[in-house]
Amino acid sequence: MTQLLLFNITNGLIIGAFYVLMALGLSLILNLSNVINFAHGGFLVVGGYIAYTITPYVGFWGALLIAPPLTAAIGLAVERVLIRPLYGRDPLYSLLLTFGLAFIIEDGTRFIWGAQGKPVTIPTFLGQPLSYDFFFITGYRLFMVIVVVITVALLFVLLRYTRLGIRIRAGTLDLETVSALGVNVRMLRSLNFAVGIFLAGLSGVLAAGQLGLEPTMGTGLLMPSFIAIIVGGVGSLPGTLLGGLLIGVASGMTAVFFPAASEAIMYVLMAVVLLIRPRGLLGEEGMLT
Amino acid sequence: MTTPTFSDKFDRRTIIKGAAAAGVLQVASPFIIKARGETPIRIGMVDPLTGNFAATGQNEVAGAKLAIEQINSKGGIIGRPTELLVEDSASDVGIGVQKARKLIDRDQVTFLIGDVNSAIAQALAQITNEKRMLHIVSGGHTDPITGKDCKWNVYRVCNTTRMECNSVADILFKKYGKKWHFITPDYAFGHTLQQGFEINLKRLGGTMTGNELTPLGTTDYSAYLIKARATSPDVLIVLPQGDAMVNCLKQIVQFGLHKQMAIAGAQQELESLEALPPEARIGIWMFEWYWKQPGVPHVQEFVAEIRKRNGGKVPTARHWFGYTSAMTFALVANREKTIDSVKLAQALGDFELPAEVKLQPNKCYYRKGDHQLMTSAFVGEAQSSGKDDPEDLYRVDQVIAGDTTSPPVSETGCTLQWPT
Repeated sequence: MTQLLLFNITNGLIIGAFYVLMALGLSLILNLSNVINFAHGGFLVVGGYIAYTITPYVGFWGALLIAPPLTAAIGLAVERVLIRPLYGRDPLYSLLLTFGLAFIIEDGTRFIWGAQGKPVTIPTFLGQPLSYDFFFITGYRLFMVIVVVITVALLFVLLRYTRLGIRIRAGTLDLETVSALGVNVRMLRSLNFAVGIFLAGLSGVLAAGQLGLEPTMGTGLLMPSFIAIIVGGVGSLPGTLLGGLLIGVASGMTAVFFPAASEAIMYVLMAVVLLIRPRGLLGEEGMLT
Repeated sequence: MTTPTFSDKFDRRTIIKGAAAAGVLQVASPFIIKARGETPIRIGMVDPLTGNFAATGQNEVAGAKLAIEQINSKGGIIGRPTELLVEDSASDVGIGVQKARKLIDRDQVTFLIGDVNSAIAQALAQITNEKRMLHIVSGGHTDPITGKDCKWNVYRVCNTTRMECNSVADILFKKYGKKWHFITPDYAFGHTLQQGFEINLKRLGGTMTGNELTPLGTTDYSAYLIKARATSPDVLIVLPQGDAMVNCLKQIVQFGLHKQMAIAGAQQELESLEALPPEARIGIWMFEWYWKQPGVPHVQEFVAEIRKRNGGKVPTARHWFGYTSAMTFALVANREKTIDSVKLAQALGDFELPAEVKLQPNKCYYRKGDHQLMTSAFVGEAQSSGKDDPEDLYRVDQVIAGDTTSPPVSETGCTLQWPT
């Protein structure tokens, strides 16, 4: 039993790491622009399908490099045309827009690539377990964790040490003052949105290697990401990181004792955190109000 | 000589007489007019075109459309043209019910087909029973539809979950071992499927090492697979369907579990195998219909017709379900020369499908006692790639007749209550 628990905690951390990648993109967009991006799962799917389409020409590694920026470019166009006019309005407007957009993206992918799932092949050496005992740690899953760690580190550097990052962080706290200081807030929001969608695209390419690539793939991955943000605390990127890992572990542990509740446990965890600490574990009071 | 003008040829009285004659003609020759203006017979179809089961739902619709084309080319149903009205259930019970009511109340359909999702199919059966409408469940497998919840107006084309289990259980036990572990989707279909395997396992004297109830829409199976492997089963029975099946099999192969235990299950579908990378096309399964049946009459024609309409792709079992469902209405209505649901439901009891519709070697008929189609099980193994055709992803080892895999009516729990 101890071994089983240990395995599931480790496995939960791996699953949680993936949630983190997706949740960070959502969190970036939410924090700066107050946009609750329900279409994030849709962008994830777009990233996966772009990778599927270009893989025969550029291979898996090429697709991993090219698909996320292409997804970000699509995200940038969507932001410019559809979301930008809604900044400054009640967040409900952008929520409704992205909610509808999620359906449009899902149907769009179904129209272009068909309803049937597509086979995505990963390099053979990644598709093997690293050891007989730790069979659930495959080369691909380890690679995913490494990608998440590098991405989080790069994001940290971007937000901490670059002019763009400092402006994004300042904008998260007080966008009006940042604007008054002469920063082009429109551009800032666009770039921030593009970074968020880049992370969705990257998540899509990685997910397609492990899961079935089909138009509804993003739906099942979106809610855990939202829960990760709420549990960790809206407005806090370290909180999102913690939230993602926590729900991954909670889900893995529940699968040992009560498998049918392994999804529901995430919602229970969210409810408990909201009851005890409504701002989330690392969130600051008053964010998004 | 003067040329006659319009007014010379057609005066007012002539026009009035002509109009009167035309009016009389309408009444005096109703058959001619009726044949031209006959209202079409409408068949409603509720299936998921979006959501989790969209691929299978769309294929059922494509099969039904082909049937409607063929029905109309042969004179329609009792001489009337036939239309197919399709609604998307979006894999959601509430939406499915709403769409069925729209088809019945507003569009005035005569018959109904649907749904891929067992829970929706059960809900639709309730509605069609209220409305006294003949209904064929094309692709919802859960047992109660033709078991304890059977209804006089509801017939089913696809197998029951029990038939599926019965078709593979003996082979799995004899060839692969007696300790089984289940990955079971947590809804009606999964529960009855596991129950069917458990009955067989008990009969054969095997043991169940455990079961993992996975919520609908589960994407990551790693936690369940860790638990399953810890029990060291001989056979891992994988019961999720559609996208869930794809996710589960991909993870099983990446974890190398297929090298440590046999991977098997009941129903497998070409839609799922095509969505898997070659290395993950593994396992022992049953197909409910397969496109490659050398020497079986009319199968090649059907495959060619679907290929023409499906971008060159072969038909799946779902195409055949949709096709057979629509064809059944036409066959029985044309034989009985009526569209009365009660009369047709009675006539369908023990109704045998002709060779050009059954498309399989064994006898295929609707059993009178529970309204279940006695259709074959194609038992075999998934293969990573086709030898002659890239879509030949399954090797059929046995084709078992439906009345061999199905439990007798007395064991299904079905008692049909006919309207007075």
